[in-house]
Amino acid sequence: MNRRTVLKGILGITGIGLASFSGYKYIVGSLNNKGQLKAYIDLISELVDVIIPTTSGAPGAKLAQVQDYVIFYMEDCSSNKEYNNFLNGLNDLQENCLDVYGNNFENCTTDQKMELLKDLDNDSSSKGLLSKISNKLRGRSFFNILKTLTVEGYCTSEIGATKHLEYLPVPGRYKAITELSANQKAWATR
Amino acid sequence: MKIKQTENNTFDAIVVGSGISGGWAAKELTEGGLKTLVLERGRKVEHIADYTTAFKQPWEFKHRGHLSNKEVEEQPIQSSHCDATNKHFFVKDVEHPYVQVNPFKWIRGYQVGGRSLIWGRQSYRLSNLDFEANKKDGHGVDWPIRYEDLEKWYDYVEEYVGISGSKEDLPHLPDGVFLPPIPMNAIEKHLKEAVSENYSDRVLINGRVANLTQPKKGRGPCQYRNLCSRGCPFGGYFSSNSSTLLDAHETGNLTLRADSVVKEVLYDEETKKAIGVVIIDALSKEEISFYAKIIFLNASAIATAAILLNSVSSSFLNGLGNSSLQVGHNLMDHIVNEGTYGTFEGLKDKYYEGRSPGTIYVPRFQNLNNETENVDFVRGYGIQGKGERENWQAKATVGIGVDLKEQLSTPGEWKIALGGRGETLPNYDNKIYLDDENKDQWGLPLVKVDFEYGPNELAMMDHMTKSSEEMLSKAGFKNVGSYRTSPAPGSAVHEMGTARMGNNPKTSVLNKHNQMHDVKNVFITDGSFMTSSGSQNPSLTYMAVTARACQYAINQFKSNLL
Repeated sequence: MNRRTVLKGILGITGIGLASFSGYKYIVGSLNNKGQLKAYIDLISELVDVIIPTTSGAPGAKLAQVQDYVIFYMEDCSSNKEYNNFLNGLNDLQENCLDVYGNNFENCTTDQKMELLKDLDNDSSSKGLLSKISNKLRGRSFFNILKTLTVEGYCTSEIGATKHLEYLPVPGRYKAITELSANQKAWATR
Repeated sequence: MKIKQTENNTFDAIVVGSGISGGWAAKELTEGGLKTLVLERGRKVEHIADYTTAFKQPWEFKHRGHLSNKEVEEQPIQSSHCDATNKHFFVKDVEHPYVQVNPFKWIRGYQVGGRSLIWGRQSYRLSNLDFEANKKDGHGVDWPIRYEDLEKWYDYVEEYVGISGSKEDLPHLPDGVFLPPIPMNAIEKHLKEAVSENYSDRVLINGRVANLTQPKKGRGPCQYRNLCSRGCPFGGYFSSNSSTLLDAHETGNLTLRADSVVKEVLYDEETKKAIGVVIIDALSKEEISFYAKIIFLNASAIATAAILLNSVSSSFLNGLGNSSLQVGHNLMDHIVNEGTYGTFEGLKDKYYEGRSPGTIYVPRFQNLNNETENVDFVRGYGIQGKGERENWQAKATVGIGVDLKEQLSTPGEWKIALGGRGETLPNYDNKIYLDDENKDQWGLPLVKVDFEYGPNELAMMDHMTKSSEEMLSKAGFKNVGSYRTSPAPGSAVHEMGTARMGNNPKTSVLNKHNQMHDVKNVFITDGSFMTSSGSQNPSLTYMAVTARACQYAINQFKSNLL
């Protein structure tokens, strides 16, 4: 399939206007571009579910509705800078996906999805001084934002907190020192 | 403006403010038989019924803990101290502006109960090391009271409030009437033992907190949810709403008026007494006068000073009771550092159940005596902290997918965070005053805050950071580090000192009974009265001093001396 056709298809379905489309528009700077992420919900759902997949123990991020939290957060709480990084990152990823696999992300195989995100994770995992300066200057990277929000959204979701972690809404008592049992899960809240 | 005094607008006593000290004034005065009007500038908050987020689950918050950009715009200053779960107990800065001559965070809770709903609940007595400090090193003026004057009042309020803590027999941090302490977890215990092994000048103790480890008079016990700042539906911690105001109400002597912004205290030139206050109804903006024989100001240090400065009469051109020109001056807040942290590799077989609302505490250990003298600064600081095993909120994770998911559900490394709280010296130049040009929505002059830490505070901050790091390193912690900065002044939310007590009316505002030297029927028992700051969290002292002053005021009232 022609790459551009596929891209048009995806963007068309997800409601992105293509009138001036010549490749997507890479946003720079900190202008307000908010209000666009709802159209990416399918892509974001797939992304969060690769980061935290369903396992025998508990459903993954998609079933935990983490995509909704990611969008709420990015639309309402993020800086323009980081929003733009995030939006660019989504578009980049989709473009890259088409280049490499000839498919949009949602339609890639599980291995392909994993491969793509692992690369992004490695790129964004640098904890050095340069990356700190870059974060401060340009805002966190796309993948850094995505992973942070996915972890937070999942662990504070009903599924994440109650099925994957141990959640006690009203402990009623404080046992300051307990012996860790074999399959003890981490507490969901502190 | 002269409004007639009628039965409806006349009381025995008026209390301005319903926070932690105002609540106590309300309880003591009403129980003493005085018909008392409590004026609160903020909205009504009913115990339990108005703790709207208390039972919300994490997933029920659209942005989880985060404030939205719109909310941060409304609360640019408060937002460093609140989150999505408790923001409704912090003011919207846009509605209540003030002027920062230098950066100063004025964290406020305008509602019935004030900041007693959101306080840190740390409760420590001052000692004579604190009460004698000004006299000894010459900063500020001498306190007109000593520990002996306050001791039984500490007992009295602790018995009522319910403070969990351990007896330690430290002369500079007197023991109190304690409920059983909140126990230490494995890492906290480890640090306590290591501190004992490594130091002879200090100990690590259970934090003393106003959380009920046993039930008290229909309140509590604490359920160990650690969600205190949402308001506790179990009454697990002390607030005006859960206790003092309810008991005041029970006497039948309490009238509580919310949405009442106090404009000024009315002064009568003939009797040389205050006769009442003028309020502005926060909603209708109507001005109303109330009259009483006794006025207690408990609006919090900055607001109380602002009310005095705005109460101008021909006798007091510089503000009520301000012949000393000290009103608004000597503003203090504890210096805090942003914190020290470290991780610990052992104790992997230990965990805990329940979430402690308490802390650990290293009481002051500098400048206690000749052996602990520090040449870099006078006075001292204490260190508070908390240990936990990292969960997803703190963990650095690697990778994605099943691996990542596994890491999230595994209890992580033990870690401890420590933060120092140091004494601030009284300094005339640190002050609040009124803005002659800019007014708020009620036509009242804005408050200007002009405050800066001096070299003594900064030296202390440096020391608290280094000593915290050293304690953790010596205890075998790894990755020990600190944020080597202090957040903006005001961040401790311990503002105090703006109408200080003293023996000399020329250099102080209040006498040893918290009466204004100049106007004997006005009492001030919020943080304004603090002659020095100590390093201890101050609320317990405000409560004890309030109860003491109320007893004096009631006796004076009954003997027709006010």
